[in-house]
Amino acid sequence: MKYFDFVGKRRIFISISVVLVAISLIFIFTRGFNFGVEFLGGSELILRVESSNFTEADVRKVLGEISSDFASARVTRVRSIGDPENILKFSVTLTKTFMAEEKADLQAQIESKISEKNIKGQVISFNETGGSAAEEIRRLTWRAVIITLVAILVYITLRFNFVFGVGATLALVHDVVVTMGFFSFFNYELNVPAVAAFLTLIGYSLNNTIIVYDRVRENMKKFKGKQIASIVNDSINQVFRRTVNTSLTTFFVVFVLLLFAGNAIKPFAFGMTVGTVVGTYSSIYIASPMVIRWVKNR
Amino acid sequence: MRANRVRLIVVIAVIFAAFLALLWPSKGQSYKGLAMIFQRIPLGLDIKGGARLEYRVDVEQGVENPSEVVDNVWTVLRNRLDAAGYTEATVRKTFRENNSFIVIEIPAATDTTRAEKLLGSTGVMYFGQVLEESQIDPQTDPRLKDLARIKKAEWLPTRDGKIWYLVREEIMLIKDMKLVSPQIVSASPVPETRAGRFGYKVTFELASKDAELFKKITQQLVVPESSVGSAAAKEKRLAIVLDNVVQFAGYVVSVIPDGKAEITGNFSIEEAKQLAAILRSGALPARLEKVSAGWVAPLLGSDIVRTSLWAGIVGLIIVFIYMVIVYGIQGVIADIALIYNTILLLGVLAATGSILTLLGIAGIIFTIGTTVDGNIIIAERIKEELRAGKSIKAAISSGFGRCFITLFDANLTTIIAGLVLYYFGTGTVKGFAITLIIGVLGSFFVNIVLSRLLTEAFSSLIRKPTVTEEGGAQS
Repeated sequence: MKYFDFVGKRRIFISISVVLVAISLIFIFTRGFNFGVEFLGGSELILRVESSNFTEADVRKVLGEISSDFASARVTRVRSIGDPENILKFSVTLTKTFMAEEKADLQAQIESKISEKNIKGQVISFNETGGSAAEEIRRLTWRAVIITLVAILVYITLRFNFVFGVGATLALVHDVVVTMGFFSFFNYELNVPAVAAFLTLIGYSLNNTIIVYDRVRENMKKFKGKQIASIVNDSINQVFRRTVNTSLTTFFVVFVLLLFAGNAIKPFAFGMTVGTVVGTYSSIYIASPMVIRWVKNR
Repeated sequence: MRANRVRLIVVIAVIFAAFLALLWPSKGQSYKGLAMIFQRIPLGLDIKGGARLEYRVDVEQGVENPSEVVDNVWTVLRNRLDAAGYTEATVRKTFRENNSFIVIEIPAATDTTRAEKLLGSTGVMYFGQVLEESQIDPQTDPRLKDLARIKKAEWLPTRDGKIWYLVREEIMLIKDMKLVSPQIVSASPVPETRAGRFGYKVTFELASKDAELFKKITQQLVVPESSVGSAAAKEKRLAIVLDNVVQFAGYVVSVIPDGKAEITGNFSIEEAKQLAAILRSGALPARLEKVSAGWVAPLLGSDIVRTSLWAGIVGLIIVFIYMVIVYGIQGVIADIALIYNTILLLGVLAATGSILTLLGIAGIIFTIGTTVDGNIIIAERIKEELRAGKSIKAAISSGFGRCFITLFDANLTTIIAGLVLYYFGTGTVKGFAITLIIGVLGSFFVNIVLSRLLTEAFSSLIRKPTVTEEGGAQS
């Protein structure tokens, strides 16, 4: 097995990360996010189609031909009690809102596009709608975020030491902020699945960091008096195969999802893919090398 | 080998319980083949769809701030759903022309009448004055009907429908002295402590904006406790009316200056709970008119759910193969552990009746990650111990011993994060936290117990790494 020098160039990697976080923050605050309809609200139109084999994909196709506004629209089949079998209704939600004339125009276009297929289609309502998830996620306030970080800090301080606690928390913040930066930069839709990715990322990032810290803790006991920098480097090397293999297996699952999963899941897969890479990088180059100086100065 | 026998029994008992929870016959849904294991797990709106109800909010003409009324309706409905355990339901406001609508979507509820009942009364609550009572249905007695007309009041039944009260909104016929849609901040059942009374009473508190009016009303209706039951006092009773049903009627025995009141009646705990729930879930500040009831298909789109599911399975198969290639027999053990833990997690979800949403699936993916990770950590550790020159048996023993601490810290940190999420999150976020916590606990159990059992059983198949491979790798 090869032996790598991970900590030797730590200043370079820490600088890279600081720059990455800074760029991410700039993007987050200036460009913001492409929020999904469940956060922002927008418009909902109900389309009634007199056909028994019209699918959500057909609706998406028709709408896509009309306007790019519908590209990220959510299409769902709905049904009221008493609707006959040969009538299908679809609810289409998108973040944009329209003026009355625009609505009438879109309505006419949609109806004529569907009639081209010799099917009778009708937009039966065109509403403005509020977000359904906005409230839910809003309650996950900064207070919750700070309490999470403090709880983790306390636990790691008890089981390891305070410096490691700070390292793990900073690595966690690093991973989440950089992934958010990617969302902003690539203009990926931030929807509920994307939030799921962020939540998963928290667990993933912590897990990766703790595995390395655990080994550092073990080696610090074993080799008392040895230079902390070389203990950290040995430890990262010893768990390196594990880090690579675990990250690869996670990466397989989320990357296949990113390639093939449907639109609404893509933000989740994107967040997880970016998060896996960033989390692995930070557990090797950031979380442990970062604490070397502080441990040394104690 | 005694330890292994214990492990074997525990492993079999746990998986048996999980299968029992999953395959216990359930009515309603029927799945065939492998999908059987999902039959008892209710799926969320995003994956499976659910009941959809649409109401028009009937805001009274001349209300100063109609959007505030709609916001209040939203809050009341949200609270009612949360109180009934339907935290995964969504409530959304929509607007068309000058009308406001509320769309409610409830997962795993295919029966809309049940969903409607769950939302409870869609009507208005008010505090009124009782003028008269009757044991017979006033609709059958013209004399009683006349009385209602003369008194400008309405005959309303009680909840059990055995007694009718003649109730008037305006207290003592004083103009504008009516408390419609009171905002009740809290209401709870409290054990009765006063001598001569028993059971429970209900305390409630009105929002400060209604407290002043309530004070005036109680000033008008207050009767000395000694005259309770007299004819004069009977005309001064206070009624709590919800949806045109008298929920409670009783005497005001003291003026309530601060909106903090209590209702005594020697209630049983059930009665007190029910009354408190009625008060707390609150009145809707406007009437709701049902526009449509029906169901909604998966919010993500059923085609998207299907393709994503396939993508997930393909990804998993790659992981399975990769593990076997890289870790040999220990990879096979990891794959078994993975399947075991997934079934265990689904079993717990089925047993607790948690609704599985996309966020829950994210939790499952994370669980898969931690289970595989745990096995990789163990496999690598055993390899290290072997390289250090230990025998296979000793390497397994010390490898697992050491990994226990590693996995303990890694998993507990994740669980701490999960607990905070659970505490602060609502709805789907809570669902995610639950799967995360159960999954991580499960993966710890699987790694320490099942993987150890299998590793020791198949220890003869573990390849000893050649020492030359190392060649002074360690500094």
